[in-house]
Amino acid sequence: MSATTTRLLGLLALWLVLLAALAIALPGFFRASTVTSVLQFSTILALVTLGQSLVVLSGGGGIDLSVGGVVSLCGLTMAAVLQIGWGAAAAIAVSIALGAALGLANGVLVTRLGIVPLIATLGSGYVYAGLAIALTGGAPIRGGGAWLTSLGRGLIGIVPAHFALLVLPAYALAAALLRFTPAGPWIYALGGNETAARLTGIPTGRVRTILYGASGLLAGLAAVVATAWFGSARPNIGQNLELESLTAALLGGVAITGGSGGVAPPLAAVLFLISLKTGIQLANLNTIWQVGTIGLLLVASVLADRFIPGGRRQ
Amino acid sequence: MVLACLAATIVFSLASPWFLTIENLTTVARASVELLIVSLGMTIVLAVGGIDLTVGVTMAIASFFVGRALMIAVPAPLAALLGPLVGIFLGAVTAGVIVLGSVPPIVATLGLYGVFRATIYALLGGEWLSGLPDVLAPLVRPTILGIPSVAFELAALYVLAWGVFRWTPLGVWWLAIGGADAASQLAGVPVRRAKTAAYLASGLLAGIAGAFYVAQYRNVEMTTGSTIALDAIVASVLGGASVTGGRVSVLGTALGVILFRILQNGFVLIGVPSLWEQVVAGLLLLAVLATENAAKLRALVMAR
Repeated sequence: MSATTTRLLGLLALWLVLLAALAIALPGFFRASTVTSVLQFSTILALVTLGQSLVVLSGGGGIDLSVGGVVSLCGLTMAAVLQIGWGAAAAIAVSIALGAALGLANGVLVTRLGIVPLIATLGSGYVYAGLAIALTGGAPIRGGGAWLTSLGRGLIGIVPAHFALLVLPAYALAAALLRFTPAGPWIYALGGNETAARLTGIPTGRVRTILYGASGLLAGLAAVVATAWFGSARPNIGQNLELESLTAALLGGVAITGGSGGVAPPLAAVLFLISLKTGIQLANLNTIWQVGTIGLLLVASVLADRFIPGGRRQ
Repeated sequence: MVLACLAATIVFSLASPWFLTIENLTTVARASVELLIVSLGMTIVLAVGGIDLTVGVTMAIASFFVGRALMIAVPAPLAALLGPLVGIFLGAVTAGVIVLGSVPPIVATLGLYGVFRATIYALLGGEWLSGLPDVLAPLVRPTILGIPSVAFELAALYVLAWGVFRWTPLGVWWLAIGGADAASQLAGVPVRRAKTAAYLASGLLAGIAGAFYVAQYRNVEMTTGSTIALDAIVASVLGGASVTGGRVSVLGTALGVILFRILQNGFVLIGVPSLWEQVVAGLLLLAVLATENAAKLRALVMAR
C-alpha cells in the first residue's frame, strides 16, 4: 500500500470517528441538508487547498500565505464587474485572470527576486487583503445574476453543483497531471532536490512560478464560487484560508519540505476540516473556536508525522 | 538608516505643518513603544533563521493577565511582572513545538497563532477589559530631564540585546545558526538550546510589551496586537535583518521601528486613510527585500 493510500484511509477513519462523535453530540446532525452544506463549504477550501498542496509539494520552502487575500480581492473584483454590467461570464473570467495574475506575481517575487516564499507571500498577502479592505472601506459589494446563482446554489442530487463541476474535475486533472505528464516528476524532483532537478534540465524557476500562478488561479475560482453562492462579496471572505488550506495540505500528507504527497488525501482532509467546522457552528460556538481547533490540528498533524512510528520522517 | 529617518521626517514636515510638532512626535514615540520591544524579539528569532507569528497574540494574552491582576488589586509591580512571566511561558510552548518537534517555525507559529487567538477569546469571554487602574503609570510616564522614563527602559533593553549579540556566546551562536544551521551544529554550537533561548526571548519580550501596553492604554480587547507581528517583521527587515537568518542589526531594528511609525503617521497626516496601513506595510516589506536582492544579484554579475 502506498503512503498516499495509507494516508487516505487514515483520514477516512478519522473522519468517521468525527462524524460519529458529532452524531452523538448533536442530535439532528445527520441529514441530507448537512451533507449538502458541508460539501458547499468544502468547495472554497478544496480549491484553495489544491493550489497550496502543489506549491508546498514543489519544495524550496514553498508556501502560499496570500491565498486568503487573493480570494477576498478576486471576489470583490468579480462583484464590482457584475455591478457595472459586464455580465457573468466576463466577471468570472476577470476573477480567475486576476487570481492567476496575483499568483504569478508571487511566483516572480519568489523565483526572480529571490525572496523566501513565506516572507514573499506573507507580504503580498497583506497587500492583497489590505487592498480588499482599503478599496471598499470594509463594506461588501452586491452582485449576482440568475445563472450565477444556479452555479452557486444549484444541486445535483444532494451534491452542490460547484463541488461536482469544479472540485472533482480539478482534483482529477491535478492527479492526472502529476501521474501521467512530465509535470508530475518535475514537481516531485523539484521538491526532492532542487539542484539535482535543475541539473537534469528541468526549468525549475518556470515550474515554480507556474505553480504559484496555479494557486492564485484556483483561489480566483474559489472567489467565483463564493460570490456566486452568497450573491455578494465581503472584503474579508478569504480570512484564515491560508491557515486552513495549509492545515488541509499537511494533514493530507503533503510533506512541508516538499517532494512527497498526493492530492487525494488533502481533499479528504478538507472534508474532515469542514465537517469539524460545521459541527462547531451547529453547536453554536463562536467561529474563533474554528480558528483555534484548526491551528491545533496543524501543529498536531506536523508533530504526529514526526513522532508516530511508521509516520514519515522529515 | 538614520538618513532615511531624517529624509522621511523632512518630506512629511514639508507636506504637513502638523508633522513636526511636539504633540505629534510624542504620539509617534508613544505608538512605537510596544513595537520597539516586540521587534527586538523578532530580530532575535530572525537571527536564528526563524520567524514568530505569535508575538501579537502573546502580547495580548500577557496584557490580559496583567490587566486581570490589576482588577483584583494585585500590587502593581507583581502585576507588571506577570506580563514577562506569561510571555516566557508562551515562548516555551512555541519553542517546544519548533525545537522538540522539529516543526518549521512558520507552520508552528501559524498554528499556535490560531490556538492563542482562541485562548485570548476564551480568557476575555467576548468582553473587553477597560478602564483598568492607572497604577502602572510609573513605568511609562515620569520624566527624567524632560524625557519620559520609558525611553530609558527601552534603551536599556536594546543595549542589553546588543551586548548579548556582541559579547556573549549566545549571540554568536544565534548568528551562526542563522548563517548555517548544520555547519554550526558540527562546529559544536548547542543548536537546540540556542534556538529555544531565541523563542523564549521572543516570548519574554512580547510579554514585557504586554505590560507596557496595559500601562499605556489601560485596556485589553480581542484585536490587541493583531497587526504587530507583521509590523515587527517589517521593522526588523527595514533595519537590516536578513529574513533567512545570520545577519541582524539591533540598532537598525530600533531605527526601523521609528522609520516605520514615522511613515505610518506621515501617511495619515497627508490624508491617506489608515485602512491603507496594511497595504503600505506589505509593500514596504516586499520593496526592501526586492531592492536588497536585486543589488546582490547585480554585485554577483559584476563579480563575474
